Amino acid sequence: MTEVPASAVAPAPGEEPQVVGRSPWQDAWLRLRRNKAAVTSAVVLFVLMLLGFVGPYLTPHAYDQIYPQYVRVPASLEAYPKEDAIVPAFQSALERARVTIGEIEVDGSTVRAPISSEEALDPRIVRYVDRSDLFENARIEELSGDGRSGVMAADVYRLHFYFGTDSNGRDLLARILIGLRISLAIGILASVMALLLGVTYGAVAGYFGGRIDNVMMRVVDILYSLPFIFFVILLVVFFGRNFVLIFIAIGCTEWLDMARIVRGQTLTIKRQEYVQAAEALGVNTGGILRRHIVPNLLGPVVVFVTLLVPKAILLESLLSFLGLGVQEPLTSLGLLISEGSANLRGATWLLTYPAITLTVLLFALNFLGDGLRDALDPKDR
Amino acid sequence: MAEPILTVRGLTVDFQTNDGVVRAVKGIDLDVRPGETVAIVGESGSGKSQSMMAMMGLLASNGRASGSARYRDQELIGLSDRRLNRVRGAKITMIFQEPMTSLDPLYRIGRQIAEPLVHHGGYSKAKARPRVLELLRLVGIPDPERRIDAYPHELSGGQRQRVMIAMALANDPDILIADEPTTALDVTIQAQILKLLADLQTKLGMAIVFITHDLGIVRRFADRVYVMRSGEVVEQGQTETLFTTPGHPYTKMLLAAEPTGRKAPPPANAPVLLEGRDVEVSFKIGGGFLAGPTVYLRAVDHISLALRRGQTVGIVGESGSGKSTLGRALLRLLPSRGSIRFETHDISNADRDDMRPLRRELQLVFQDPFGSLSPRMTVGQVITEGLLVHEPSLPARERDRRAVEALREVGLDPVMRNRYPHEFSGGQRQRIAIARAMILKPKVVVLDEPTSALDRSVQKQIVDLLRTLQKAHDLSYIFISHDLAVMRAMADYIIVMQRGRIVEEGPTEEIFDAPKDLYTQTLMAAAIDQTRFRQTA
Amino acid sequence: MLSYVLRRLASAIPTMFIIVTLSFFMIRLAPGGPFDIERPLDPLILENLNKAYNFDKPLWQQYLLYLGNLLQGDLGPSFTRRDFSVVDLFSTGLPVSIQIGLSAIVIALILGTTLGAIAALRQNSLTDYGVVGVATLGITIPTFVIAPILSLAFGVMLGWLPAGGWGTWQHMVLPVATLALPQTAIVARLTRGATIEALRSNHVRTARAYGLPPFVVVVVHTLRAAILPVVSYLGPTAASLLTGSVVVETIFGIPGIGRYFVQGALGRDYTLVMGTVVVIALFIIVFNLIVDILYALLDPRVRYD
Repeated sequence: MTEVPASAVAPAPGEEPQVVGRSPWQDAWLRLRRNKAAVTSAVVLFVLMLLGFVGPYLTPHAYDQIYPQYVRVPASLEAYPKEDAIVPAFQSALERARVTIGEIEVDGSTVRAPISSEEALDPRIVRYVDRSDLFENARIEELSGDGRSGVMAADVYRLHFYFGTDSNGRDLLARILIGLRISLAIGILASVMALLLGVTYGAVAGYFGGRIDNVMMRVVDILYSLPFIFFVILLVVFFGRNFVLIFIAIGCTEWLDMARIVRGQTLTIKRQEYVQAAEALGVNTGGILRRHIVPNLLGPVVVFVTLLVPKAILLESLLSFLGLGVQEPLTSLGLLISEGSANLRGATWLLTYPAITLTVLLFALNFLGDGLRDALDPKDR
Repeated sequence: MAEPILTVRGLTVDFQTNDGVVRAVKGIDLDVRPGETVAIVGESGSGKSQSMMAMMGLLASNGRASGSARYRDQELIGLSDRRLNRVRGAKITMIFQEPMTSLDPLYRIGRQIAEPLVHHGGYSKAKARPRVLELLRLVGIPDPERRIDAYPHELSGGQRQRVMIAMALANDPDILIADEPTTALDVTIQAQILKLLADLQTKLGMAIVFITHDLGIVRRFADRVYVMRSGEVVEQGQTETLFTTPGHPYTKMLLAAEPTGRKAPPPANAPVLLEGRDVEVSFKIGGGFLAGPTVYLRAVDHISLALRRGQTVGIVGESGSGKSTLGRALLRLLPSRGSIRFETHDISNADRDDMRPLRRELQLVFQDPFGSLSPRMTVGQVITEGLLVHEPSLPARERDRRAVEALREVGLDPVMRNRYPHEFSGGQRQRIAIARAMILKPKVVVLDEPTSALDRSVQKQIVDLLRTLQKAHDLSYIFISHDLAVMRAMADYIIVMQRGRIVEEGPTEEIFDAPKDLYTQTLMAAAIDQTRFRQTA
Repeated sequence: MLSYVLRRLASAIPTMFIIVTLSFFMIRLAPGGPFDIERPLDPLILENLNKAYNFDKPLWQQYLLYLGNLLQGDLGPSFTRRDFSVVDLFSTGLPVSIQIGLSAIVIALILGTTLGAIAALRQNSLTDYGVVGVATLGITIPTFVIAPILSLAFGVMLGWLPAGGWGTWQHMVLPVATLALPQTAIVARLTRGATIEALRSNHVRTARAYGLPPFVVVVVHTLRAAILPVVSYLGPTAASLLTGSVVVETIFGIPGIGRYFVQGALGRDYTLVMGTVVVIALFIIVFNLIVDILYALLDPRVRYD
């Protein structure tokens, strides 16, 4: 092909048209935007993150609020209590008040029953009704002159448990949202930790090479032969179970892969002619790392991090499943799944909803990671 | 004239890419008659390979061929793989540019040559072996009884190409398509392979379709030539006619694309700028912890040279001769033994910090214009990086002004400095790399095969540019190349290297006209057709 | 080759030594001990126990004692299961874990490579998308979700297979399926990627240019190259699968060695934890060696001498 000048128009002196190129990052961005699966995943992920971080403030129930009357109620779009549950619940509340009960009528959101007693009705018996999670604002109406009979009325306290409740009577939706938050937070923090450790370690080993590299990679090999769970369990046993420890533990084990990848990439980049060219210009180590090695490392690192986050979330879930994760009343998706699988018979929703949430989350992360890899590493197409 | 055995009419190849459909071949016509050699000539991207790939059903999955290609009475375009398999490998065979990767690394070569025999020639596996040995002998593989059980990685590039040829000849094909079969090989090997192909054609009488960018080969080898450019055949004809009276401007341009002119030596009293004495570079190969004794490979073996101001010392050698290593050692980019002096400085043992102030005077330009520019920096950042090191106090405006100046000097439009390297062609990138070196106003530039990755026509422009810059700034070059045509146009003094040693050195004309050493003579003979052609053209 | 294997085994000794040392001191530095978990013991008994298990000696002496015993193949007594030695526990548990792990690996290997290769050969077809989708699902859903679902569906609801326990081949089906599913998915993805890459390589182009039948092109020239990354993946994976999966063994109530780890660590069963570390590290080292040897057999370019 003949050499043609990049632009035929010479710039007028004094004013130069700004020709701005498309950087490799912008190219990758364009490729990513064309990838429907990745874009959908990014949207799903965004929604999940929003749910995790804002959701818990919006739910009507706190994640640790216990409703003793609503233990293990199935998921439902209708409000609780269900119509057929109102009368028996009212009945049992009134029975505790030891009064004679007439026919119970439900009228919209109020429930009424004529009551009578041998003695004058104690106004304090409304407490028996109020004490139930189902009713509020209990009152005695139409009190007869002698005070021995009247109508007990109460408003039905309607609650929504869209995902049902767990075996302690806590709203599953609220718990899933807080679990989502914890899982996401641990996944992200652990990945950041692995990222910092792994990139520093790998880049140092790869850039300096030689004996330093040999020793550093030997250490990684040895750590690889140590079972991961051993390490985590030890840490947890050492310092007790808490949130910070868990993400540190996961980060500390996941950095090994990152270190290997970064080292390999650094070795490759170091051999590139543009690095040799920089050396020939007299650029010092810092400049070479900053201007040449790190920017070109970013691609593979970004890809690896997106695949690391789901891995970290999975590990956290595994730890929670084994009872080594976050502690009650706090929860995580793994812990919820573990509880769900223990209650699988009779309360399937306890497994289904957390499992679906986790799966969707991991799916989105994986697809986004794949999309990023394709976008940043176009040789795969 | 005999009837064509291959008739191509209106062959079109389209590729579906992210930026839409790209038409790589735009309806070409082509005939091949029995026993003749047809060359398809063109520079990279001309569609010369893709048209043959399309015929053989070898397009990448995003490629589509249309039009017609008839082999005898058989239409090849759109033929099912099963039917196509009766033709390819039996009647039409192909050898490729990449001898290193075209054979399956996991199998012995004997087995790979036998495969087309077993599947087309009706041989049993046992019966195929003597035939494979015969073929290996035919293509000149030494010691075939032993080599038949070798794996591809145990053979040299030239030997692998011979194995490919053996495979291609296994079933006595009518047509052999050779897709740049010598481009990846050293000059001397190139000559051997070309001679082998010519001999085999005389002996066996098949037609050869020769795809190449190298006009020297075409002239020596082909009966007829098709010149392709951007997917079209722009000119065709008998080789002699086409070379003596080219019709199309593009053909004329290609013919004139060999670098011309000579470099006059500098005045005898020009001061020596860079001098190496007994320079030696060794690499550790193998060895290490528990792995036995360490073995050293002496890549540069006691080499002395002196470079005067305004001089161009050319270092010629084939791959593995140590010429690039020598170039880097002279700039202290590799640890070496022996003494190296730059002007008044003894830099024999200079470390990175000692060298830093000298770096702006000692610059380097690489072979690969795609690998030598940092992909995530703009062109402006790339060429001004040296200024950050050597004139850190320079304000950004002034840096920018110098970048503009440097880009103008290498013939690029300065408005492009905010673009990224991948947006430029190979020749433009090489200009950027030259600008990066020139912006520092160096005294010595080591040019490591700066034209080898470029098309001929672009090569010529880069050679012209380098010579202009040399004159303008009184530069001294160390010019490393395996390409004798370019070497002759660039250097006034030549060092011939083989296996780390100097085998011959002297003024350019002497080396070219009266080589004394046997190896130099072989090199020259290998390139002789190119030289002869240049004289007539 | 033999000398290479010997050399590799020799270099495993310092690695093992470091691992043993590291984990010994790490677990011993953890607060708590094997005898103060449940109700407090009588001080006299505690003292006797400590004496019996050498806990009254300085740590470095205990370490040397442990090393000495280890060299003789003695991993010490278990503290949480006082009637057994750690070697006893492993000799009954390890075969069970290996049986399940090996079955899962074989299934994953056969199924995964087949699916991956088919998907790659029909790239961008519905089959391909199907395989990729199912594989992503398999990688995404954690075993501790699959296991209870399988157990509920086939064990409890359909009643085809036992929901847990150990004994007959029927007991193996669900745990092996649980373990094999994600591995199959990963192997399928790896194979698919490697096959696509191999199909684009120059030597496959050569095979096609020479009109070799599709079977030869695919099986001989593509799949052998495509299996290489699977081999290097399966090495460390095999090591971890054969040494038992905590999740699967817990959910299906299988008497393998996977459970010992968590139980041992929580109960400060020093010897049991150490034993598990030693066994797992040994498996990892051996399997890395096996992978390297296999690699050399499959790829003539790789040589170890």
